[in-house]
Amino acid sequence: MFSQSAEPAARPKSAGRLASQTSWLSRLTRERATTVPYYLMIPTALFLIVVVLVPFFLGLYVSLTNLNQYTIANWLHAPFVGLANYVAALTQPGAVSASFPQSIWASVSFALFTTVAIVPISIVGALMMDAEFPGRGFFRSLFLIPYVIPTFVNAIIWRLIFINNYGLADRVLPLVGLGAPTDFWLIGPRTFWAMVIADVWASWPFVYLMVLAALQSVPQEVEDAAEIDGAGVTARFFGITLPLIQPTLTLAILLSTIGHFNNFTLPFVLFGTPPPPAVDVLPITVYINSFQIFNFGMGAAMSVLTLLVMMIPATLYMRLVRLGAME
Amino acid sequence: MLKPSHSSLNRRRLLTSGIAVIGVSLVAACSQAAAPSPTAAPAAPTTAAAKPTTASAQPTAASAAAKPTTAPAAPTAAPAAQAQPSTAAGGQLEMFTGKILNPPGVQDKVNQQLISDFQKANPGVKISWSTYTSASEETTKIETSVASGSGPDIFEFGSTVVPTAAATGDYVVLSTSDWDTLGGQKKFFPAQLKMSGLSPGQLIAVPEYMLPFALVYNTDLLDQAGAKPPTTWTEFIDTAKKINNPSKQIWGTVMDPSDPFDPWHILWVLAKQNGGDFVSADLTKATMNTQQVYDANRFWFDWMAKYQVANIGDATFKGTDQLNAFSSGHVGMLVMQGPTLIPSLDKSAVAGKYAFAPMPTIPYGMSASPAGGEPVQTFVSGQYLTIAKYTKVHDLALQWLKFMTDVPQQMVFLKSYGYMPAIEAAYTDPSLQTPIWKAFVDAENHAYGTPLTGAWGPIEVVVGGYSAKIAAAIATKSYQSGDLKKALAAAQDQVQKLLDDEQAKKKQAGA
Repeated sequence: MFSQSAEPAARPKSAGRLASQTSWLSRLTRERATTVPYYLMIPTALFLIVVVLVPFFLGLYVSLTNLNQYTIANWLHAPFVGLANYVAALTQPGAVSASFPQSIWASVSFALFTTVAIVPISIVGALMMDAEFPGRGFFRSLFLIPYVIPTFVNAIIWRLIFINNYGLADRVLPLVGLGAPTDFWLIGPRTFWAMVIADVWASWPFVYLMVLAALQSVPQEVEDAAEIDGAGVTARFFGITLPLIQPTLTLAILLSTIGHFNNFTLPFVLFGTPPPPAVDVLPITVYINSFQIFNFGMGAAMSVLTLLVMMIPATLYMRLVRLGAME
Repeated sequence: MLKPSHSSLNRRRLLTSGIAVIGVSLVAACSQAAAPSPTAAPAAPTTAAAKPTTASAQPTAASAAAKPTTAPAAPTAAPAAQAQPSTAAGGQLEMFTGKILNPPGVQDKVNQQLISDFQKANPGVKISWSTYTSASEETTKIETSVASGSGPDIFEFGSTVVPTAAATGDYVVLSTSDWDTLGGQKKFFPAQLKMSGLSPGQLIAVPEYMLPFALVYNTDLLDQAGAKPPTTWTEFIDTAKKINNPSKQIWGTVMDPSDPFDPWHILWVLAKQNGGDFVSADLTKATMNTQQVYDANRFWFDWMAKYQVANIGDATFKGTDQLNAFSSGHVGMLVMQGPTLIPSLDKSAVAGKYAFAPMPTIPYGMSASPAGGEPVQTFVSGQYLTIAKYTKVHDLALQWLKFMTDVPQQMVFLKSYGYMPAIEAAYTDPSLQTPIWKAFVDAENHAYGTPLTGAWGPIEVVVGGYSAKIAAAIATKSYQSGDLKKALAAAQDQVQKLLDDEQAKKKQAGA
């Protein structure tokens, strides 16, 4: 009896303890499930702080100071000048490099023209390489050659092509009625097109690769069905292929545009410093101000302003990713 | 209880964290790698070369046209070291020097031999070195080292970079005791010491070798034109016109207006000859917009635009392009060149067909220097050695500087690269008793120093900046009257700002 009576009496106690323990464990587990991942993020967060945030805030601080060769040895105590560097960047003409607004214009034009030229070339190239034909692997590799050549080598090659009087451009183009043997490509107004041509040649395989990858995922059945329904090649491309590869293509265009905008090596090697005004893109202007005139404050201010400009495509990119457009 | 997916997530995150930690470690490792690892043998050079800085020479008329009879010989084994034992046993020394491209591959061997000799006298010392290939790399290294307070112990600078380096205040000001260790200031050519620091009491740089400038000409082309080396700029243009034969791609002279640094060489010399300068004597005012500086610029650009004695295509040229043009035998005269050119000329199409002459000093259209004009042929130029303030091996660094500026090592530079010794004692050597070297020594003794302002480095860039723009406008036929004055006005503002910054710094230091 006792045991019988005691047992039921003990059971609730034990059950209560157990329930309480279970509840505590459950809470702990739930808490750990929620908090542990955050702890595990600490190394990544630290990495980002060191690699991204610290340099960013240092750059922001430097942009508010008159940091130059006289103050760099004790750069934390460089005179604070507020927004003077930003005002100067936006209003003053550049004695050595182009002014900031001119550089913005050069960079945006260069990025847009290059991208506009690259997209159709890349799509056509990808469509060609998507089709089955003997030696496809060889040609696919061949198309990647410009992309794997280091940018500075590419720039040197194009400098030799465009060099006045002796370069390939001045020797070949007059033969087909395009220009004269004495045309200048490395100075004057043609410099812009020289840079666009060199960059298109070097970077089109990036978009081509992305599009080619996207084409692999286009279901053959859909293409076949459209063909049976009487859709021609053009109709199938614009009606089926392009919409299906559009998310990848959009990402490729975006990344490509950002890449062109930030291209430093190509204009630096192709034209040297100071570059002609038409190709005095932002990275070069920032470099000249910072490392040739030693006006680090101005260079940092221009960098921050560049960051603001770059926020536009970056925001677009983030929205695309967030909306799942890439899937 | 965690779901399996959470568990998986954790593992992934763990993996990510691991990668992040590895990444951080790599970054840390990279920063460690920036400092040289101790090596008994010198590290392989990572970059290359120095822009020949300048030295100046005022060869006399008698010494003009002296042909080089002693082309630098092939590198020989370094002579026995004369290094004094270091006061501190052992130690690690890092150097940052210009890359010497001509003759190719020689610098590594020479440096290894020099280091080996130094180590014999200083057992346990480890020395490494890295190099720079351009003035941009040179100045970038200065900035990063100064800002971080770490980097090479010894820097090799060009003469015109010394004021900029001195302005940072991060290089050791050599004391009397330091100079005594080096052998005293009298050991060096006095003109070279003009550029050793911002003032005589604040010398930071030890002359390593000097590079005087002169005019080099193609003897065949001048002979064919029946001309002699010019002594005035009027004669220079007349001679160049006689040599000119554009149909055969033969040009009287050559220019490099698109070089980011070179243009100031000739433009400063021309401005001084006209009685002007880029900055005022007290270093507080920019004088880029003066008539003298304008005339200097106009005359130089007129070589292409008006007199057409230089190919219009030169508008795209940088320093190496103009050297290549002269070396190909298509150019009659090349201005502002030093003895370092000799090794490459001796292996070119003009080998045995070139000679050096003093630079002309009388402005175009004049028969004598104008009021205030100075007969400047060149400026004090050469390479200098400095010790960074943050070094922990000051005494060892000083020993190295002494070793490098002793006669045997100075002769190694001469024989290996054609670099002129910066110490007077070296000139008792018979190989330096030839007319060409005597002419360059004479030039050195009459060299003018460039303004000792920390803004000089950026001023060079400013001049290079507008030079490229004006030349491009001329070549593409878009140049309009007044463009040069506008460019000089913009340069004036820029230079004035640079000088104002310096004055502000001085006031701050004074306060």
